[in-house]
Amino acid sequence: MKKKRAALVAASVVVALATTACETPSGSDTETGADTSAFNAAASGTLNAWAFDNADDVGQARLDYAAGKLSGVDIKLDATGFDAQKFTTRLASGDVPDIVQMDRAFVGTYAAQGLLMPLDKCFSANDVDPQTRWYSSVVDDVTYKNQIWAVPQFYQPPAIILNQKVMKAAGVTEADIDTSNPDKLIAAIGKMYQANGGVPVTLGFDPQATGQIYMWTLGLGGKLTDADGKPTLDDPSNVYGLELLKRITDAQGGYAKYKSFTDSFDFFGEQNQFVKDQVGAQLDAQWYPNVLSPYAGKLQLGAVPFKDRDGKPVTVAGGTSFAIPVKAKNPAAACKWALALTEQGAWDAAGEARAKTLAKDDSINTGLFTGSPKADQELREKYVKPSGNAGFDEVINTYYEVAASGRSVGASPAGQQLKQELTNAITATLLGQKSAQDALADAQNASLSAYQTVTGG
Amino acid sequence: MALTTVRSSAGGKRREESAGPLTPKRYDRREAIAGYLFISPWIIGFLIFTLGTMIYSLAISFSHLNLATNLMRPAGTSNYQRLLEDPKIAASLGNTLFYAVLAVPLEICFALFLASLLNRVRRGAGFFRTVYYLPKMTPAVATAAIFLLLLNGNTGAINQFLRFFGIAGPQWLVDPAWVKPSIVMMTLWGVSGTMVIFLAALKNVPRELYEVASLDGAGPVRQFFSITVPMISGAIFFNVIILTIAAFQVFDQAYLLFWRDTSNASPEASLFYAVYLFQQAFQQFNFGFAAAMAWLLFVILMILTAIQVKVGNRFVYYEGDR
Repeated sequence: MKKKRAALVAASVVVALATTACETPSGSDTETGADTSAFNAAASGTLNAWAFDNADDVGQARLDYAAGKLSGVDIKLDATGFDAQKFTTRLASGDVPDIVQMDRAFVGTYAAQGLLMPLDKCFSANDVDPQTRWYSSVVDDVTYKNQIWAVPQFYQPPAIILNQKVMKAAGVTEADIDTSNPDKLIAAIGKMYQANGGVPVTLGFDPQATGQIYMWTLGLGGKLTDADGKPTLDDPSNVYGLELLKRITDAQGGYAKYKSFTDSFDFFGEQNQFVKDQVGAQLDAQWYPNVLSPYAGKLQLGAVPFKDRDGKPVTVAGGTSFAIPVKAKNPAAACKWALALTEQGAWDAAGEARAKTLAKDDSINTGLFTGSPKADQELREKYVKPSGNAGFDEVINTYYEVAASGRSVGASPAGQQLKQELTNAITATLLGQKSAQDALADAQNASLSAYQTVTGG
Repeated sequence: MALTTVRSSAGGKRREESAGPLTPKRYDRREAIAGYLFISPWIIGFLIFTLGTMIYSLAISFSHLNLATNLMRPAGTSNYQRLLEDPKIAASLGNTLFYAVLAVPLEICFALFLASLLNRVRRGAGFFRTVYYLPKMTPAVATAAIFLLLLNGNTGAINQFLRFFGIAGPQWLVDPAWVKPSIVMMTLWGVSGTMVIFLAALKNVPRELYEVASLDGAGPVRQFFSITVPMISGAIFFNVIILTIAAFQVFDQAYLLFWRDTSNASPEASLFYAVYLFQQAFQQFNFGFAAAMAWLLFVILMILTAIQVKVGNRFVYYEGDR
């Protein structure tokens, strides 16, 4: 009797499992069902926006501007930060926001899963030419399978900030900090590097080995994805950058000591690595001069562009974007709101707000890098004036110069995983655990698996 | 004495009136029913929130679940096949096993050592118990932030202390060989929960046993191994099982030290099974595969626990055994 009962229970569980597991989906995962014609409608009703969580003076000015442009729309803003898990849960539960701000690295993944609306008709319905409004590399970040899936914003390219004080003491010139000439660069690093008891005291050059991974791959002629966003991390062109990074860290005590040293930097504080002469040069994104600005009087700064293997300036930067989920209830307003936030008038308002903020603190205006070349240039002309500190002005000018030399990582269905695996490959190479080729091959396998999971390929 | 007699007599009368004398079997049944009634809130919670979700996760493990669209496509056994094919499964299981083998004995020894110290304290015992328990109350994020500072290979307090003795400390958080020991150190910081269980067990060891042993000439070490350890073997056994299960599910320490900030490098040595499971479920949204991973872990833990119970029964002394 007991055996019969046990068998009955077991059979019931199996049937229940089979029924649940074999539930036939009502449609393919990648079917979007997006009603892109809705972009033609006039903006009205309620707009539920989520994840615009960077509303500082610049953000608030743009929000106010966009609200003025969409006066007939009731804009409800959830200003909590984007969270991938929360996003998918909200979509599943039917609590779909009309528009979401997210890192551009997510866009390819969600586009491939059919969770976002393509926005080409959003642009055409509102007479916006993406290639004119944004840098081409910025548009490429949100382009997947020849369609644009998000409205991009911000683009803060990296360049190399120089600590002239350390450089002069070591007899190093700006021309020596040249990523296109590894031997010259390594020699300069050797001159500036100082250690005490084997522990680094001053780095010649902080390459931000795991913080600026795309500069050391794409920036040096590497290839991370193909035209479909499929990972190509094992492409031989990626090996060069990893090997150069290893030479750079090995010349400064090895990766472990380098990493522990950079982890101890007071990166945002008044005892930062430039004030304390802990670096001779460092690869930094465009926003970092804002951190250094209060200490400009104490510092002797300069800057040079990161150069590719041919000696040409190059930069790679991501940023954020506004994406519209497939099941958004008010795509017309969402589209118009995102475009309003990224148009010239919004950036003018933002530039004015930032100038007022900086005037209160008597700080240096380093400009805004909006993702739009026209906006960047107009704000530069209007607000970025000589600061009286030639070195600091050189830093600002260098970032403006490299902005036009951007390359895109591209939108990949495996975007986040690709970034993580590439970081792991770099670490394994720098620690000497694997050769660059082997580390990249392992990273390729893992990211390809993620790609296939998303695309079902 | 008179009161006892009266009560006993009254109770006996009631028994006679209602259901006759309680045989051992009937008494056991009544005791069991009362027990089940007392634990019924937990059982109901278990059936709904644990067993129910476990069965659902088993269903998910045989499917491809798209959380965003809430669609489940049948996957057959492909998620389980992938467990064999994915090299990170073996790597993360290896890391987790290494951690468990290192952490569990150290936690047991360290917690027992601290409990023995506290057991000897007479004045200010409450104060010391509170102080020793504070790390358990500290949020894991705060603990991780402190350990990131303590374990920095160049400027961390631990290596600076070692340098004082002329020892060049390791690069705890970067060198793959030292990544797992550094996580074990962070785990030991929160050992006070185990310590409290040991302390309670130590308090229950009859003092007479030590007095008799002393009279027989047994020293402190002999007393510890011949009296203390056998008398608290039940607590040791319980802690070993609980800590082993916790070790195989270790997540907080590794995630906070190495995986929280995705712009940072995360050494492969810190990829524990639960971290990889989390990544698959909540970063890559492979819920089917993640559920299969969870079931594999469940089976491993069931086998390990069964072995521990089998072996433990030979050594554990239960005072209240009938």
